[in-house]
Amino acid sequence: MIFWEIAKRNIRLHFLRSTLAMLGIVIGVVAIASMGILGNSLVATVSDSLSSVGDSVIVFPYAGGGGGFGGGGGSSENLKITDQQFQQIKRAVAPSVAIPVLSTSERMKVGVGGDDIVASVYGVDPKYLPDLNFELDAGSLNNANSGCLVGSEFAKDNNIKVGSRISMGTDGSKGTLRVTGIIKERGMSFDISTDNAVIATQDWYENTYKTENYDEVVVKVKSGQDTADVKVVIEKQLNKRDKVVSVMDSKATLASIYETFGAVTTFVTAIGGISMVVAGVSIFNIMMMSVNERVKEIGIMRSIGTQKKEVMSMFVYEAAIIGVIGSAVGGILSLVAGYAISALMLQSTKYLFTFATAFSVFEGVGFGIVVCLACGLYPAWQAANLNPIDALRHE
Amino acid sequence: MTPPEDDDQPVMLFRDVAKVYPLPAGDVRALDGISFQVDRGEFISVMGPSGSGKSTLLNLMGCLDTPTEGDIYISGTRIGDMSDADLTTLRRDRIGFIFQYFNLFPLLNIIENVTFPLMLKTGKGVDPERGREVLRAVQLDDSLFTHTPTELSGGQQQRVAVARALINNPDILLCDEPTGNLDSKTGAGIMDLMTELNRKGTTIIMVTHDPHIAEYSRRTIRIADGRIVS
Repeated sequence: MIFWEIAKRNIRLHFLRSTLAMLGIVIGVVAIASMGILGNSLVATVSDSLSSVGDSVIVFPYAGGGGGFGGGGGSSENLKITDQQFQQIKRAVAPSVAIPVLSTSERMKVGVGGDDIVASVYGVDPKYLPDLNFELDAGSLNNANSGCLVGSEFAKDNNIKVGSRISMGTDGSKGTLRVTGIIKERGMSFDISTDNAVIATQDWYENTYKTENYDEVVVKVKSGQDTADVKVVIEKQLNKRDKVVSVMDSKATLASIYETFGAVTTFVTAIGGISMVVAGVSIFNIMMMSVNERVKEIGIMRSIGTQKKEVMSMFVYEAAIIGVIGSAVGGILSLVAGYAISALMLQSTKYLFTFATAFSVFEGVGFGIVVCLACGLYPAWQAANLNPIDALRHE
Repeated sequence: MTPPEDDDQPVMLFRDVAKVYPLPAGDVRALDGISFQVDRGEFISVMGPSGSGKSTLLNLMGCLDTPTEGDIYISGTRIGDMSDADLTTLRRDRIGFIFQYFNLFPLLNIIENVTFPLMLKTGKGVDPERGREVLRAVQLDDSLFTHTPTELSGGQQQRVAVARALINNPDILLCDEPTGNLDSKTGAGIMDLMTELNRKGTTIIMVTHDPHIAEYSRRTIRIADGRIVS
């Protein structure tokens, strides 16, 4: 239709002005979409490192101020879970598996002449290792009493291989452990943070540290059971009179973390939206200029039989062309910006080509087009409602 | 939609028309008691000094405005109660406008300019065949059809404006000082074209203050102080 053609030609005639308006939209779309991409990548990164523990319920001794995170626990025997309490938990959560875990920090040395290092040491009964779903980079789970598993980062940092020996305690005062397996990187986790840790057997740990009580109990919830229900059961069973344990439902904690990241993503995207508002003001200004420059032309059109809606469509087309081109270019550039920001801030771009990223880009592009159309509507309406007689007299 | 044309009706009928502009200092009666009739095939000039009400009369004849009092009929259709959309359709289908300053669209080429009202009417794209036909009727050289208005002389632009006004076969051609922006020779050429169009049956109403140009018409309506004086 002729009005589409006129809109195109007017944009071409005022190329610089139209390009600047488009640039505003490009910046707005890039800001919104790339912030969205960054936020989604952030959530995906955290989600990836936490998803493997989404089926866990962690029981800590109650320390008066809420449960710890990642298997903390004090040195005092009062801040431990007794075997009796463990048995109660075990019975309460069946058929889910309750795994008692002991933990501390220890000084150790790898090989002869190596430097002293400090790392977390866990004591876990080998029969529960399959339930913890450790994936191995090397070796096997079948560690004997003097054997241990180590995390991949710990192994990498200290050049540890299957068969390497680790002297525990200052000058090996707590004996030597032989590495039987290296656990694949698990990232941050609620139950046992293995990446920088040594996983010894429960027997070795109890003999070495002379303790019979546990620092935490990890409950691996079987499918068919809900983590929230398991949490309630444990609390009912153990916190009858006094609160003796804190129970953390990893799924609920994950949901809360996702919610927080979601809010952060929305916030940064909204900050990006400010630039879109600025772009919208610029589009509005340019459209008003376009209308004011063409008052006489509008008067001629109206006098020879152009309906109001046809005049309006001409200006809406103009805003739409600026919006669609600006938003499309912005959408493409936002992928580049998202890639750069993710690479710089997260050191990873593997979450770039996901549905969430595509959604962020479409969201930015859609918002750009809507802003352009919205900002073009009033000038278009004003043009359509000019009095033809006054418009014809306009110089 | 525009009502069907009725050949027995006058093309234009003004009956006791007045136009009052309400102003803070008091109402201004720009036109008062205007009554006249334009029959099919007439060539009328409207003359009068500045401020006599010529422009107001032209706006009413062109259906760009409606009267405060009295009735105006275009081919039997009373315009007083018509909506803006209906008046616009009436202008598109029944009235051809020719302006003093040509008023072509600078973004469109000659063929597009000429066929613009036709595109409005049909809702379709450019009809180059019909455009060429009308442009040839106003004796414009074929080589100019794809040029833009700014590449044409004043006389050529006014011929294009005439072609645009004729494209929808209007009942009336309304001309506002059609030679006012042309030299006398070119102006005479345009007036010869008008005369030729009228000879072929086109009804023309021309507003002018130039008595030489008014001589081309067959009837003159003179107005002064908002009233028809002869």
